[in-house]
Amino acid sequence: MMHAAANIADMGMDTISMSGTLPMKLAAIRDAGFSQVMLSAKDLAGHAEGIPAAIDAVKSSGLRVTGFQVLRDFEGLSGNLHDYKIDVAKSMLEMCAALGGRVLLVCSSTSTHATGDPDALARDLRKLAMLALPLGIKVAYEGLSWGRHINEFTQAWDVVCRANAPNLGLGLDSFHLFATKTPLEMIDLLDPEKIFLVQLADFMWQEIRSVEERIATARTFRVFPGEGAHSAEVAGLVTQLDQIGYGGDYSFEVFNDDYQQMPLATVAQRAYRAAVWLGEEVLQRSMPLPGQIRLRTQEPAG
Amino acid sequence: MTPDREVPADASNPLGLDGIEFIEYSTSRPQALGQVLEMTGFRPIARHRSREVLLYRQGEMNVIINAHQSTVPRSAPPAETPAIAAICLRVRDAAAAYKRALERGAWAVPTRIEVMELNIPAIHGVGTSRIYFVDRYRDFSIYDVDFTPIPTVDPHPPALAGLHWFGVVQYINGGRLDDWTEFYHELFAFQTLPDDERFGILPKGRVLKSPCGRFYLQLIAPIPELLDADRDEQLQRVAFGAPDVLAAVAQLRQRGVEFIESPEGVHSERRGALTRGQLGGVMFELVQHKPVGAAG
Repeated sequence: MMHAAANIADMGMDTISMSGTLPMKLAAIRDAGFSQVMLSAKDLAGHAEGIPAAIDAVKSSGLRVTGFQVLRDFEGLSGNLHDYKIDVAKSMLEMCAALGGRVLLVCSSTSTHATGDPDALARDLRKLAMLALPLGIKVAYEGLSWGRHINEFTQAWDVVCRANAPNLGLGLDSFHLFATKTPLEMIDLLDPEKIFLVQLADFMWQEIRSVEERIATARTFRVFPGEGAHSAEVAGLVTQLDQIGYGGDYSFEVFNDDYQQMPLATVAQRAYRAAVWLGEEVLQRSMPLPGQIRLRTQEPAG
Repeated sequence: MTPDREVPADASNPLGLDGIEFIEYSTSRPQALGQVLEMTGFRPIARHRSREVLLYRQGEMNVIINAHQSTVPRSAPPAETPAIAAICLRVRDAAAAYKRALERGAWAVPTRIEVMELNIPAIHGVGTSRIYFVDRYRDFSIYDVDFTPIPTVDPHPPALAGLHWFGVVQYINGGRLDDWTEFYHELFAFQTLPDDERFGILPKGRVLKSPCGRFYLQLIAPIPELLDADRDEQLQRVAFGAPDVLAAVAQLRQRGVEFIESPEGVHSERRGALTRGQLGGVMFELVQHKPVGAAG
């Protein structure tokens, strides 16, 4: 490995940050020093040699799968639309399971056809959690900042609590958290065991003035944590999550059109720099001890 | 005939669950497993009309040995080592039970039926196993349609030492206890027993009681200290209820069944017993238990 091993085993890159083929992305992420990768359904469906070959590539890369994204506009639909989305969800769950993925990311619906009735949203997410359950997959529900009814993490948390399924929890994305300016003190009210994934990104602007600008920024001009105008907020968020006892993974959800036309190794090295910044400067972790192992979470008795 | 449309469904048993109709094993060596079952008191009763499938029975217990190569997706071809491939549940209305399960997020198993065979609805259970729903078990049985009786054989051999279904043990991965508890609660209304209510000699894990009170599921997680102990989650063994365990052990021993007898650990006693694994892991547990009277 090129780097001295920093204590960043819980941080990974998203394939969406780079262009190139899936094997190229996996190699770049691994060579930069990461041990995990967040995959997109498109990585599999779009693989030139087919889905089984894509799964083999992921497995042979040695990278752990942080999670699988993203199921969109799922909850709140009825009739044929609901049945259609169930089929889409099943297809994604099967791909996720085949990869050995343990988390499926679901974004809150933007659909004008979707109801905002909290009971209906909870019922649909509970059903999704049941579909995921035999496959050993957890469902992370994320409030997209331009979601139609659910657009803040506090609202997403309410739906998760209402649905009350053991394998349904929250996905947090720093971009959406900052965009809606939801008070971050609210994070203290979350159950850290029910946060299944945290995605981190920074962006260059101080302010986002409109929803249109927010969507454009989210999809084309995010940067890695520490590279943008919100380093202090990202650092604060990660510190706060650490303090409430979040022990899950961090993934860099960085959509950036410029990174799409840069060498993969260069992008991956920028991501690694962000991980080291978070691990060593923000969380002030020590270097891993030789032979250190992560113990399995103890099963609560009874 | 039960006046279903006048009797409201019991809220604590929404499916009208009424015990286990059969347990299905899959194996590529059906005769070897058949010998093990016969030693345990089962008798071969009938053959499936179109597939390499045999029905064994003793008392109220039906066991199906399936050596058929399925073409249904997400089904494993039968391995040499027998595996519990399905639990078939008796319910009030199989179609309604199936529909309710799908509405709540169960995966349907596509069926492949031949002409004049029954379409028995099934959902995916743990690992590659399935859960079937059957509502014809009183005046008329599913075996009358899909199976041909083996001539000269008593179709209702009595149970040895009063053996009856007690339950099924499921191995789960670490951190999955609440998941599987929710699965069986949401789809079938199983309830968790308090920790001090345990049966038999292997009290680990969590025990779920069926809403009909006629059988139990026991969920067992790996020992937490063991790193990387996760394996495939599966239905690991069935447990028979026996009114007198030691009498049952004595009778089974005479027939050649061996039990685990470890002076310090698991051994046959009044509360229960465990047979030695055969054919790569097929074992049966005995639990002191009297049969529950049939509902309805």
